[in-house]
Amino acid sequence: MSEVSEDNQAAGNEEKVLESSITVDNLSLYYGDKQALSNISMSIAKKQVTAFIGPSGCGKSTLLRCFNRMNDLIDDVHITGSIEFDNIDIHDERVDVAELRRKIGMVFQRPNPFPKSIYENVAYGLRIQGEDSKAVLDERVEWALQSAALWDEVKDRLRDSALGLSGGQQQRLVIARAVAIKPSVLLLDEPASALDPISTLKIEELIHQLKDDYTIAIVTHNMQQAARVSDLTAFLYLGELVEFNETDTIFRNPSERRTEDYITGRYG
Amino acid sequence: MQKIRNFTRDWFASGEPWIWLNAAAVGISISAVVGILGLIAVKGFAHFWPSQVMLIEYQDEYGQAQQVFGELVELDTIPVQQFIESGGKEEWVDPNSDIMNRWLIKTGNRKISPPDFRWLFENQIHSKQPQTGVVVLERIEWGNAYGIPNSLTINQRPQDPAQNPTQTIRGEGLYTVLLERVARANALRSEVDALESGVLNGINYQLERLRLERRGLLARGDDNSPRLTEIELLQNELRADYEVSEAQLRALYEELDQDLLNLTTASGEVLAVPVADILHTWSPNDMSRLEKTGHYFAAIWRFLTEDPREANTEGGIFPAIFGTILMVLLMSLLVTPFGVIAAVYLREYARQGVFVRVIRIAVNNLAGVPSIVYGVFGLGFFVYFLGGNIDRLFYSEALPSPTFGTPGLVWASLTLALLTVPVVIVSTEEGLTRIPRSLREGSLALGATKAETLFKVILPMASPAILTGIILAVARAAGEVAPLMLVGVVKLAPTLPLDGNFPFLHLDRKFMHLGFHIYDVGFQSPNVEAARPLVYATALLLVIIIVTLNLTAITLRSRLEQKYRGVES
Repeated sequence: MSEVSEDNQAAGNEEKVLESSITVDNLSLYYGDKQALSNISMSIAKKQVTAFIGPSGCGKSTLLRCFNRMNDLIDDVHITGSIEFDNIDIHDERVDVAELRRKIGMVFQRPNPFPKSIYENVAYGLRIQGEDSKAVLDERVEWALQSAALWDEVKDRLRDSALGLSGGQQQRLVIARAVAIKPSVLLLDEPASALDPISTLKIEELIHQLKDDYTIAIVTHNMQQAARVSDLTAFLYLGELVEFNETDTIFRNPSERRTEDYITGRYG
Repeated sequence: MQKIRNFTRDWFASGEPWIWLNAAAVGISISAVVGILGLIAVKGFAHFWPSQVMLIEYQDEYGQAQQVFGELVELDTIPVQQFIESGGKEEWVDPNSDIMNRWLIKTGNRKISPPDFRWLFENQIHSKQPQTGVVVLERIEWGNAYGIPNSLTINQRPQDPAQNPTQTIRGEGLYTVLLERVARANALRSEVDALESGVLNGINYQLERLRLERRGLLARGDDNSPRLTEIELLQNELRADYEVSEAQLRALYEELDQDLLNLTTASGEVLAVPVADILHTWSPNDMSRLEKTGHYFAAIWRFLTEDPREANTEGGIFPAIFGTILMVLLMSLLVTPFGVIAAVYLREYARQGVFVRVIRIAVNNLAGVPSIVYGVFGLGFFVYFLGGNIDRLFYSEALPSPTFGTPGLVWASLTLALLTVPVVIVSTEEGLTRIPRSLREGSLALGATKAETLFKVILPMASPAILTGIILAVARAAGEVAPLMLVGVVKLAPTLPLDGNFPFLHLDRKFMHLGFHIYDVGFQSPNVEAARPLVYATALLLVIIIVTLNLTAITLRSRLEQKYRGVES
C-alpha cells in the first residue's frame, strides 16, 4: 500500500489505494468457551467509512469493541490474533488503554449522555486530559458541537442538562463528545437504531461530513443505511468474516452465496 | 344462596378485600405514630404551663386538718377494694361508688415538708381553691417553693451602705422588688458562670497542660531543659491570673448573697429563701393568659438551653442535645467514607466470586448483631486497646490517669460508625448497581480511566443512594443507647466536648446523650414524679432531632435525584 495524496482522495476519480488505519490479523475471540469471532483478518482504511453488516449475534459489535479494547471490561474474554492500530499492536503491554481510547472514539447504540450539562458532556474528555482553560474548552465545545451539527440547536442552553435533549439530539451530543477529543477513528455501534427516521437521516448526513476527517467504522443492521453511508462493507456471519469489499460490489455483485442471501433478505 | 356465594367469591376475586386490608394496615400505622407523638407531646409539654396554685384543705390519716399550697398534677382512680386492702381509712370511702378518685399534688417545699409530691383522695379534701398572692419560686436546690411572700430584706451586707442601705420590704411593692432582685441575681449569676466556666476553666485547662508537659520533660530526663523554667514562669503567671479571677468571683458571690426572702407556707411556717437561690419566680394565680403563654415559652426555651440540675430532674437538657447532635455528626463523618469505600471496592474492583459473596453476607449479618455487643467490642477494642496504646504513645505524661484510654466521644462515634456501616455499604452498593453500564462505557470510551470514571460519573450518580444509607445510619445511631453506656455517655458531663480551649473539639471527653438521659431520668431518678414529664419532653425532643436530621438529608437527596432523573435504564 502506498501513500495517497489528499488531492487524489478529494478528487476521488482515480483508482483508490487505501492506507490502513486498523489492521486485524487472524483475530479470534472467545467468551469463556464460546467462540464469538473466528480468524478474522481485514483492515480498516483511513478516512473511509467501513460498515459491518450481518444478522444479530454475528459478532459485528464484538468486533467493533475489540478495536478500542472495550471487551477488556467483560470478564472471561479471551482473544487470539492481533490488532494493529497505526502499526502498533493494541494488546501490547506498553499500550495505555486510556490513550488508545482517546484516539479511537466510540458511540454506542443507545445515547448515553452523562447527567451533566450539555457543555460539561462535551468538555468531559478534555477535562479528563487535564484541560482547564475556559477559553480552550469553550472553543473546543463549540467546534465539536458544530462538527456534530448540534450547535445551532443547543447554543443557547449549553448549561442545561443533557438529559433534556431528544434522543436524536442526545446521540449527536454523544458524537460531539467523542469528536471533541479529536480521535483519528470513530467507532459507531448501531448509532441510529434507537432513533426515529428524521434523526437517523441527520446522523447519516453527519457521517458523510465526518468522513473527511475521521476513519469511521459503523455497525448497522440496516442494509440500506450501510449502502448509503459506507465506502466499504464487511459481511459477518456466525463470527466469520464472509466477505469484505467495496460497498458497491457487496450490494451489486457479491461473490459469496451467503452474502447474496442476506442482502436479498433470505435470512437475517 | 347460590347468588350470595358467587357475590362473595367475586368480591374476593376482585381484590377489594386486599385493598381494604392494605388501607387498614396503613391507617393503624399512621394512627399509632400520631398517637405516640401526641401522647409524649401532651405529657411532656404540659409540664411547662404555669398551672394555678391551689390552697388545699384536707384531713390527714390521723384526722388532723391540714392546709397546703400545691399544683394539681393529675387525677387518678383506684378501686375501693385496693384502697381498703392497703389500709386506707373507711370513712373516706363513698358508699355509692366502687372507685376512688385521687389527686397527685405538687406541693414543693421539699426542705420543710417532704415529699414534694403527694396523693390526696378526693373525699379527703375539704376544699381546693386558687389563692391569690401565692408565688412559686424555682430554686437552684430543693425544687420549687410555694408560699406567700412575707418580707424581703435587701442589701443585708452592703459594701457601700450609703448608696445601698439595708431595707426590709413588706406588703404591696414586695413582689415587684422581688422580681427586680431575682433578675439582678440572675445577671450576677451569669457573670459568675462566665467567670467560672470561661476564665477559670480555661486557666485550669492550661495549667493542666503545662503540668503534663513538665511531667513529660522530667520523665524523658530533660532535667535542664530551658523549657522547664519557662513552664514555671507560665504557671506562676496563670496562678496569679487565677487568683485575680478568684477574687472577682468572691466579690460576685458576696454581691449575690445580699437578699433574703421570707415566705409563709399554707401551714403558717416561715421559709427563709436567699434570693441568690431563686432562679425564677412567678405568681400563676395572678397572671393573665398572655403572661402565662409568655412564661410557657420561656420555660420551654430554658429547658432547651440550660444545664440540668438536681440529678437531672430539673433544669434543661442542653448538654444532652448538644452531645447527641455532635456524636451523630461525627459518626456520619466517620461512617460515610468508610462505608462508601468498602462498597466501591466490593462492587467495582473486587472480582465477583465466592469470597465477595461471603463478605457481603457477613456485612449484612453485621447489621443484625445486637447493639450492646458493639458496645462491648468498642470498650474492649477501641477504648482499652486503641485508646490505651494511644495513651502510652502520645499521652504517657498523664498516665496513670487515662486520656483516650477511657470512654469518650470519639470512641462512641467510632462504635456507632461500626454499628451503622453495613447500612451504608448495602445502600451504596445498591446505588452503584443501578448505574447503567452504558454510562461507564461512555466514560471509558472517552479515554477516562476506571478511577476517573468512578469519581466523575459514578459516585456523583450514586450520591442519592449514599445519602439514603446515611439517613438510615443516622436514624439508627441517634436512637442507640445501650452501646453508648459502655463507650462514652455519662449521666452528667462537667464540660461540653466543644469549647473555647484549644483544640476546641475534645474527642476524649465524655458527653451526655438524649437517649441515655431518658433512661437516666426515667429509671435512675430519685424523684420519680418530678422526672416523669421531663422523660416525655426529652423523648419528644429526641424524636424531633432525629426527624430534623433525616429531613435535611432527605431534602438533599431529593435534590440530587432531581438532577439525575431520567438516566435509569
